Amino acid sequence: MTLKIEHLTGGYTGVPVIKDINLEIKPGEVLGVIGLNGAGKSTTIKHILGLLRPQKGKITLNGIDLAAQPTKFKRQVAYIPETPVLYSELTLKEHLDLTILSYQLDEKQAWAKARELLQLFRLDDKLDWLPIHFSKGMKQKVMIVSAFLANTDLLVIDEPFTGLDPLAVANLVQLIKDAAGQGKMVLMSTHILGDGVQAVSRYAVLNNGKIKAAGTLAEIRIYYGLKETDSFDQIYQILSQEQQNA
Amino acid sequence: MRNLAKKRLQENLRQSLKYLVLVFNDFFILALIFLFGALMFWYAQAMKTMPENLWYYRPLVGVLLWLPLLIGKLVTLLKPADLQFLLPEDENLSSYLQPMLNYSLIVPTICLALIAGTIFPFATIKARIEPLDYIFAVFAVFLAKMLQLKIMEYNLFFNRKIAISMVNILFLFLFALGMFRPKSMIIVAGLLIIILIILILKPQHVALFDWQFAIEQEEKRKNVVYNAYSMFTDVKERQTNIKRRKYLDFLLPKNLTMENPNKFLYRRSILRNPENINLVVRMTAFAILISWLVQNWLWALGLSCLVVFLTIYQLVPMVDEFDNNIMYRVYPIERTKRGLDLVSALAGIMLVQWFIISISWLITLPISLHLFEAMGILVVFSCAVLRLYLPAKVKKRKL
Repeated sequence: MTLKIEHLTGGYTGVPVIKDINLEIKPGEVLGVIGLNGAGKSTTIKHILGLLRPQKGKITLNGIDLAAQPTKFKRQVAYIPETPVLYSELTLKEHLDLTILSYQLDEKQAWAKARELLQLFRLDDKLDWLPIHFSKGMKQKVMIVSAFLANTDLLVIDEPFTGLDPLAVANLVQLIKDAAGQGKMVLMSTHILGDGVQAVSRYAVLNNGKIKAAGTLAEIRIYYGLKETDSFDQIYQILSQEQQNA
Repeated sequence: MRNLAKKRLQENLRQSLKYLVLVFNDFFILALIFLFGALMFWYAQAMKTMPENLWYYRPLVGVLLWLPLLIGKLVTLLKPADLQFLLPEDENLSSYLQPMLNYSLIVPTICLALIAGTIFPFATIKARIEPLDYIFAVFAVFLAKMLQLKIMEYNLFFNRKIAISMVNILFLFLFALGMFRPKSMIIVAGLLIIILIILILKPQHVALFDWQFAIEQEEKRKNVVYNAYSMFTDVKERQTNIKRRKYLDFLLPKNLTMENPNKFLYRRSILRNPENINLVVRMTAFAILISWLVQNWLWALGLSCLVVFLTIYQLVPMVDEFDNNIMYRVYPIERTKRGLDLVSALAGIMLVQWFIISISWLITLPISLHLFEAMGILVVFSCAVLRLYLPAKVKKRKL
């Protein structure tokens, strides 16, 4: 039960954005991928989701190769994008029905879980709404509910906290912690460290398309020479300096 | 701001010309010539037999001349990004809107000239309106359109809302009643000129521009234009406004046991995406209309079969409708059997189309045993196109 990314090089139309990425996420682990804009976080995620074809390297989840068995691989992955993407034709209830159909979930059990999640995010009275009537934050909550409903082994979350109210942020952090507690793997890209830090067990620092450091918060601090009193956000200044020197 | 307006007008003209070339293609021009010729022939014949100077002729001329007032709204070409980038420009908006107002007059003026030219013989011969009075009446309508556009401009500011529908009704009464005494159109034109001069010369008080409202109005106006273009060609700028249509939910399966993600999505797209449902409604109405016109079961069957085929043909692109949705590609959705899924999803709506056409035949065509045979043949044809043609066509598409 692991996500393995081995020697992954990829990007758009032949131009490598990420170079020789090696990552591993074990059950119960929440990996936070951090880096400046354009560092390659979203590109890495797109490769894990099968939205981009790697130029080199391999991605496997629980021994299933993404390139060889894409549908089987995807059935074990749920995704929360940075910008919510919903079907304009479907109501909230129908989005959840579609998730049940796509991930082949047991309808009764899934709906019991869906009701809990809907209540948590205060969406339980909006089941018949079309996305056009939702605010950005509400749309993001629909994405969160759908992703956690899918009950997959791996959760991929891209910049999850943008547009969410503080209550929803706290709920999401708790859900991520619970998922990790149940042995699930979580890959989360974020640069708002204040929110994510409570749930993340290990970090990978991405800069110029390469993994520069990986480890716990303390290990990353030591790697970048940060004192305990220094704000962790200082890391971005160091990364920016690295980019200029590259 | 005036330069920005001019630049946008040039861009808009270029875009409009691009679509107009596609709209007025050779076939459409030919059809228009035939239609116009037929209309003129009928008009010439009617003019020979029509009694002269009936009491309602003059107000009828007034109503017909009033019609161009309903064509064309104020073109502002405002964009959603203006809310961010032009927000502090409230004071300079008059210089932006002036060229827009002139531009907005072009299409209504062309329509007015066409209508005025067409009804000129009727107005001067049958309604006995003096040609000079008639010219003044046409000029008064032109001034009324200017005033109407000026009011639309006025409405774009906060706390300034005059109902355009009321203005239109007022003009309708003015022209319909005024034409009883065509000379009064000289006074109407004079009054409208005075109002317009006062509005133009009056010092403008700086008012808060209602950006949100103005941008929404422009989006609505553009969508009407794009919808018209889209009947002839693909319009990439067109926005699709999904409608919930809860009353059609009875056409959806009640439980998920027989569903798969593709069928689930296609069924809802047919019922809620206006592009799809409007197409089915339009084609069904067309089949009913031509069946009624031909008044012959064999012709009605042949033409309805053609309509059914064209309906399915135009619905084929639905198969990859969701490909641009990132979640559709992230979700573990099987894509190899999408053609068959689309067939299942369309079966219900095509059955409804067949049923409505059949019922219309029973109502509008002479009842005979052949009619029931035709109904049977139509449903078999519908199934054959759906189950044989559609999957083959889907296979040919690059999915």
